[in-house]
Amino acid sequence: MFRLNFKIAVRNLWKNKGFTVINVGGLAIGLASCMILLLYVAYEFGYDKQSKNYEDTYIVYHHVGSSTGILSARYTPGVLADEIGSKIPGVVKVSHISYVQQKQISYRDRAFTNNGIYADPQFLKIEDYKFIRGNPSQVLKKNNVVILTESFAKRLFGNEDPINKTVRLQNEDLLKVEAVIADIPSNSSLKFDYVMPWGLWLKRDQDLNQVGWSGNFCITLVQLQSGWDYLKANAAVNAVFHNHYKDDFSGYSLHPLSKWHLYSKFENGKSVGGQIEQVRIFFVLAVSILLIACVNFMNLSTARSEKRAKEVGVRKTIGSSRKALIGQFLLESLLLAALGMVSAFFLMEISLPYFNGLLDISLKINYSDWRLWITFLGLTLFTGLIAGSYPAFYLSSFSPLQVLKGNKVAAGSSLSFRQAMVVLQFVFAVCLIICTIVIYQQLFYIKNKPIGFDQKNLVEIDVKKPLLGNKAKLELWRNQLLQSGAVTDVSFFGRSVTEGGGDTDGITWPGKNESQTVVFLARSAGDNFAKTMGAVMQGGRDFSSQYTDTANVLINEAAMKAMGLKNAVGTVVTLWDRPVTIIGVMKDFVMDSPYEQVQPLIVDYDMNFVEVMVARLNTSGSVSAAVVQIKEITKRLNPAFPVTMNFVDDSFEEKFQNERLLGTIANWFGGFAIFITGLGLLGLVLYMAEQRKKEISIRKVLGASNVNILTMLNKDFVRLVIAANVIALPVAYIIINKWLSTFTFRVAVSILPFAVALFISLLIAVITVSIQAFKVAKANPVDALKYE
Amino acid sequence: MIKLENIEKYYANKGLKSYILRHVSTTIQQGEFVSIMGPSGAGKSTLLNILGMLEEPTYGTYEFMGENITSLNERKRIELYRNHIGFVFQAYHLIDEMTVAENIEAPLLYKKIAGAERKSRVADVLDRFNMVAKKDLFPNQLSGGQQQLVGIARALVAQPSIILADEPTGNLQSAQALQIMELFKKLNEEENITIIQVTHSEVNAAYGTRILHLLDGVIKEYLQVVL
Repeated sequence: MFRLNFKIAVRNLWKNKGFTVINVGGLAIGLASCMILLLYVAYEFGYDKQSKNYEDTYIVYHHVGSSTGILSARYTPGVLADEIGSKIPGVVKVSHISYVQQKQISYRDRAFTNNGIYADPQFLKIEDYKFIRGNPSQVLKKNNVVILTESFAKRLFGNEDPINKTVRLQNEDLLKVEAVIADIPSNSSLKFDYVMPWGLWLKRDQDLNQVGWSGNFCITLVQLQSGWDYLKANAAVNAVFHNHYKDDFSGYSLHPLSKWHLYSKFENGKSVGGQIEQVRIFFVLAVSILLIACVNFMNLSTARSEKRAKEVGVRKTIGSSRKALIGQFLLESLLLAALGMVSAFFLMEISLPYFNGLLDISLKINYSDWRLWITFLGLTLFTGLIAGSYPAFYLSSFSPLQVLKGNKVAAGSSLSFRQAMVVLQFVFAVCLIICTIVIYQQLFYIKNKPIGFDQKNLVEIDVKKPLLGNKAKLELWRNQLLQSGAVTDVSFFGRSVTEGGGDTDGITWPGKNESQTVVFLARSAGDNFAKTMGAVMQGGRDFSSQYTDTANVLINEAAMKAMGLKNAVGTVVTLWDRPVTIIGVMKDFVMDSPYEQVQPLIVDYDMNFVEVMVARLNTSGSVSAAVVQIKEITKRLNPAFPVTMNFVDDSFEEKFQNERLLGTIANWFGGFAIFITGLGLLGLVLYMAEQRKKEISIRKVLGASNVNILTMLNKDFVRLVIAANVIALPVAYIIINKWLSTFTFRVAVSILPFAVALFISLLIAVITVSIQAFKVAKANPVDALKYE
Repeated sequence: MIKLENIEKYYANKGLKSYILRHVSTTIQQGEFVSIMGPSGAGKSTLLNILGMLEEPTYGTYEFMGENITSLNERKRIELYRNHIGFVFQAYHLIDEMTVAENIEAPLLYKKIAGAERKSRVADVLDRFNMVAKKDLFPNQLSGGQQQLVGIARALVAQPSIILADEPTGNLQSAQALQIMELFKKLNEEENITIIQVTHSEVNAAYGTRILHLLDGVIKEYLQVVL
């Protein structure tokens, strides 16, 4: 019985090749989309969970109360780790980690500027990195050592054995390679190519020894005893803060390592999500696409029911029970689903490299992972059963007499069910269209929001030793660049102009409310800073070589507002216990996040602390020639380092990564969803054409034109699509408002996306219906009428 | 074997009863070959459908092999189909996706007959109908007469005690029709299978042992065919 049913199922599929292709294709696209999105969701959920200790590991967050609310950051004083480690019960291990720094590491003539961090030996144990070479218990004990990741060791040493070889850091320190660890998985929040001992950083940067509790510059990683009360440890860590600061509005908290990536957004010191929102959207999208594909499958299967109805009748009169028929139809459905699954695998393998390139990640199908198979088989079985259940139960309910008498099978109920399904599909599709458009609108809006400076043709080069802190050489560099004509303005800045962080509360001004902390971004800069940036002065003047500006500062408007000053220029404020005079106020410009309010900024004039050269390219010549010239001059002055130059607008572009990714994914998968919906509609139209063949023929005999018939057939479907829009438009409105509400700056919701979605959905419907209906309308009426 | 008593069938439409069958009573013995005749709309097919339990009468009793089966649940009805009743249709109603052999084998599958016996019975029937060469063809590769032969073969393979045929030759040319009627007669005479057929044709009706004339739902006359 099973074999025969199987054979018949295969023959059926083969006989209706077009139908099979539409059905399997729709299902394959749906399954593949769903699986890729689920892979991505799993990838995101797997962030920072590689260590076996991850559940007991926390990072310390620093919450600073300020006039604009509580700001949360993961930078803490260097001395915090020692105090936590020695004083708080339940802490097993604790480590400092520096932020990821780009430093040059060289071996013989090979030099690479890669990501490195400074950390304690405990760090490697907490994170449980896999050692390929070297002894885990003996590493990072001395100051002149380094640990490389496998691929970085390979780049640096080729096939040589790296252990005990000596590499140079920034051409200054000689470090001995004492271990090689496996590459850091791409879904880690801390990605680096080499680890250096914490002591080395303190040695290289003597200032760090002096800051004590007054500077936040490192991450503090804490591992608690397994099963230790988190709340108790959290309170203890917060108590450390209050022992050292008299500030009731601020504090520390422990944030689970596993939530670092997905729950990184804080409001008023409480974790309020973050990337997780996006991951949830993707999950919903995955499920929706699969559902649309299932609905599609059901629609196409029931649409063919009329052709199968006779078979059902005959089988019943020769003794088939209803159960046997249900089994048969479910078998066919599962067979189709299995075909869809195999095709989905091909689609996934083909599209994953592209998808990875798009998202800049490395998803792959891990065929040896049983969870993958469980998910995939589960999805197939689920799809096959869900999709097959309606046709199976519906078809098997046909009474043999009805069918064999040649009556048309009662179409009413099934048609309305199918209509409901098509409406459902279109609701999804319309919502997706609207959301995609709004995501792009928002992206466009934020990108085109004035950022307060001119990011076009602005380049940055890191200042490296021996230029670093050497005012004379920096001036020489600036003059040579200006003389070459490659640039029109040059200035220097404390760090990249697209980078946030580096804040301080060490500023007092006349009339400051002492109980309140106001956090400023603090930077150092050189002459002509505002001019080079293209920032607009609201009042006062820029730093200039004509004056001695060492006791002067620039601030931005946000800072002026935070200080509550009417006329800031000329006011003397105290910056780190040093009186300075405000000589200019710049209009706000965006350095950190274009999504957030601009933070107060204070810029002092100190060429000893500038780390970045900022230059505006001369647009009268060719950009590439200017780039070559700048690189040549820089190389001449500092031959030890390869010159890496960033275009500010490129760096700025990276800030939109998240939303662009969301937009791209919504675009692609929304496109797939719409495509599948189109297929579903096609199925329904095929069915309708079959059903109404006779009616159409009679109408034609009575004198209806092709246009009359096209209009008549389209009318029904246009009605369905409009019904779908009536449901989808308000739903989409709610969704996009919810999504937009997470942004400080958001685009106003306009009627445009709704109109476009309505138009596109109608267009898809009319085109699909017309192509098929035209065939029916053109057919010779006799063909349909003679078989009565 | 079959006993109908006062069978009535009507459809109520807006309070008006439109009668298909009225006061139909008859008895059919094992081994009879009955032809039901009458003009279009006389209720012939409805009567046959009631005999085949595809429809239920509105009123009256139906005894099949001594058992009252006027209203029967689905499971029991399927049992009857599997073991006692074979259907032959005007439009053949073969399953398009099955070969000739598979079509014939299908009822045996539902009857849960073992593989070896199935094969031998199908082979046997194919042999008897001279269709061995055609066993792997699909229905649409056969002529109408050949398709109807397969239809009859399918009805016979489960060894039913009765065959119900609704205008079995309605779609056939006269030569083929003759062949089918000869076959029915042979089955009736040699294997003692009860056959009830609905037909329009006097010629075909004459093959039977008895003719039931229906007019507007009422049995008008019995004719004992004397050959």
